[in-house]
Amino acid sequence: MVRTDLTNQPDPLDVLRRFTPTPLRTRFRLGATRVTVQTNDFKLLPTFPLDTAMEGPGGRELEWTIIRDQDVPGVLQEPLVMSSEELTIAIMGPACLVGVDHERGELLCFVGAEVDARTFQEVLVPYFCGLTKEISGSALHDHPVCEGRSRIDA
Amino acid sequence: MVNVSFDRVNLPFRTDFFVGGVRCQLSTNSYHVLQHSIPWRTASRDGDVGTFDLDVFEDPSMDSGASGTHFRGLRHLVFAMLEPRTFVSYDLLRRQVRGVVSSEAARDRAFWKSQLLPMTIGILGTTMGVAPLHCACLTRNGNGLLVAGLSGAGKSTLTAALAKRGFGVVSDDWTYISRKHGGLVADGLSAPIKLLPDSARFFPELRKRTPHKTMNGELAFEIDPERFHPEAALTSCTPKWIFFLERMETPGCRFVRSTNAYTREFFKSNAERLPEELPEAREARSEIIDRLSESPSWVLRSGDDPHQTAEAIERFLPEVARGSH
Repeated sequence: MVRTDLTNQPDPLDVLRRFTPTPLRTRFRLGATRVTVQTNDFKLLPTFPLDTAMEGPGGRELEWTIIRDQDVPGVLQEPLVMSSEELTIAIMGPACLVGVDHERGELLCFVGAEVDARTFQEVLVPYFCGLTKEISGSALHDHPVCEGRSRIDA
Repeated sequence: MVNVSFDRVNLPFRTDFFVGGVRCQLSTNSYHVLQHSIPWRTASRDGDVGTFDLDVFEDPSMDSGASGTHFRGLRHLVFAMLEPRTFVSYDLLRRQVRGVVSSEAARDRAFWKSQLLPMTIGILGTTMGVAPLHCACLTRNGNGLLVAGLSGAGKSTLTAALAKRGFGVVSDDWTYISRKHGGLVADGLSAPIKLLPDSARFFPELRKRTPHKTMNGELAFEIDPERFHPEAALTSCTPKWIFFLERMETPGCRFVRSTNAYTREFFKSNAERLPEELPEAREARSEIIDRLSESPSWVLRSGDDPHQTAEAIERFLPEVARGSH
């Protein structure tokens, strides 16, 4: 079971957990799209091969915010996807709730405590890349490429 | 994998209705869901009110398995999983609600009345000029009385006791305050009064009933206000007075005049934190609370049972109306 000490204690005025700090960041590229990832758990940072040769101007900026939800047990379930012009919502049981705002270029996600790093890297990251591909609407490389090192915001 | 596309072709039934002071534009593929909106369609609201879209897709394949109750939110999106098996997403920027419901949920009128609509107005209300406040709302002779207090103070049992004495009940738990014609209006959602099992010692009629597990997991009786008084149920009123209920160990009821600042601080400090993406909603809620805090208010310290406290309020209000307090 995944345990980190980076999440907030439950706040009675934040029952939806909107304000969980996400101090860990990394960036990578999906074709012409630059993706910034912010999270509260090292294990939820996508691990891609470093290839700075892919740096270049232009392209759309997207943002993934991925929250490790320590209070949610269970594994991924069969997804239920609700799609519209502006949003795609994917629910894989309480262990993974994803919302993608096509217009704002945001992927917002909660990942449960029992979704391990391997499942995240091998199942969820490719799935998120697919959703991100739909946002950008552009031809993307098959393999995402990391732009630089991960960091922790002070 | 269930994949639902929320386009107009998939949601052929449409209607609109007023709920909690706002207009809901419902689109669905479910005749049952459409039927649940009928009681709300009689209500009307003049003036400029907020509007939201509620798109509901009934999917019989959802009937198997359990989902539990679970809520999370990030920025302008809120995810909800409810029983019977229902998934709902809220987009607070676009004021859009989209849900996939099991056939069991689609047919369950109590689910819509006690869970989905209250939750929806609670989550989206602030984006439409409605401040959801954690307080009961009752009326006497057309005047609205808000009863606030911390959880466990006894708001619901007092509401039931006041209903038995002929007070109108707009809400026992969450009241939705909005602006109307330069003043304020308080709306309820016709939700039942929720009473914890130990309240049966004050209301013998509950002893024949069985408490049910509610959305937050606790056992409670859910009783329509009409069960306590045939004319008790109301949908809205003009809020005039505010009581802050506090429990005391010693018997008796004391009404202590409170201040505007106390009212303002109480409601603002107990309000849900809103994300940065919704600055206008935060400002609108703050303005409504400021305006509400101008209402006369009292701290009601009671060590009596709910019926005695209700009687004390009944004696006190005519004195307030005469200006004695």
